[in-house]
Amino acid sequence: MKWKKQDIEQYVKAKEYIDTAIIPLVPFSMGSTDDELTSLTYQNEVMDLFVDRVEREYKGRIFRLPSYTYTKSSNLENEMERLNSFYEEICKQPFKYVFYLTFDSKWKKFEKGLGGHLLWVPVMKDGDLNSEETQKLLVDQMEQVTDLIQTYWVE
Amino acid sequence: MSEDKNKQVSRRQFLNYTLTGVGGFMAAGMLAPMVRFAIDPVLQPEAGGDFVSAEIAEEDITTEPQRVTFKVEQVDAWYESTVEKVAWVYKQEDGSIIALDPTCTHLGCIVGWDSNEDHPDHFYCPCHGGLYTKDGVNVPNTPPTAPLSVYEQKIENGILYLGKSIPREEA
Repeated sequence: MKWKKQDIEQYVKAKEYIDTAIIPLVPFSMGSTDDELTSLTYQNEVMDLFVDRVEREYKGRIFRLPSYTYTKSSNLENEMERLNSFYEEICKQPFKYVFYLTFDSKWKKFEKGLGGHLLWVPVMKDGDLNSEETQKLLVDQMEQVTDLIQTYWVE
Repeated sequence: MSEDKNKQVSRRQFLNYTLTGVGGFMAAGMLAPMVRFAIDPVLQPEAGGDFVSAEIAEEDITTEPQRVTFKVEQVDAWYESTVEKVAWVYKQEDGSIIALDPTCTHLGCIVGWDSNEDHPDHFYCPCHGGLYTKDGVNVPNTPPTAPLSVYEQKIENGILYLGKSIPREEA
């Protein structure tokens, strides 16, 4: 499910089945070096493709929420508080599993303070999204992430 | 002199001719777009009626379902995109080819063939455990209430082409 009218109409009729929410955590910056800008936008694109695909294959159980965007330089302790208020908001619907998907390794340290599960996935800094090798790598990574999500479902 | 005068066009006739001509052009100018709009649906290519190559040869299709992917253009409101579609293709017992659309009829997850150890030789949905037999018919007492959709398909030059996904009613 996506944060779209058409999907929400389906969601409200079948809430009990869609018990998993996924939020991409996306850093944003305009003040970085040009190289860093390239890598941030590249990673943002990868994240979009990544989450879109997860959502497409598991449409009936995973809800893809809007991305959580934060400035790259901001203090993650404050961001954690704000993210936890997102979490409280999400829990107003009957979600059992909330996942944060990020390429930003800085979150790893704050994992314990977060409601929900953090999935940190390493990613290349730059690359060509149209190349077959990159696509293969991404599909492979995606399968590993969805396998991990499925282990939560089994419990 | 009088003959010449007979051949000459009188002022009244000249005005009649020019007004009919100009009026005709104006009428045609107004009607043409109207007619164009009226028959517009006829001129549109049929949406989704196009077949796309699944890039698999007829002889490579076996009785075991195989996963093939193909790309289609999709328009969502203003947004045009190329979407990758998946089909499970195999030869039925009578030798005819069937291409199943793996979109679960429950809530739209993608099912896989033989992908769960507990349910071999079935299509299995990882989201809520929906099951379908090899012919795509849903197994009772699992969440789906309809069989998997079937793609329109044709063979051209020995290559499989796939078209629209046609939903099936409950058997």
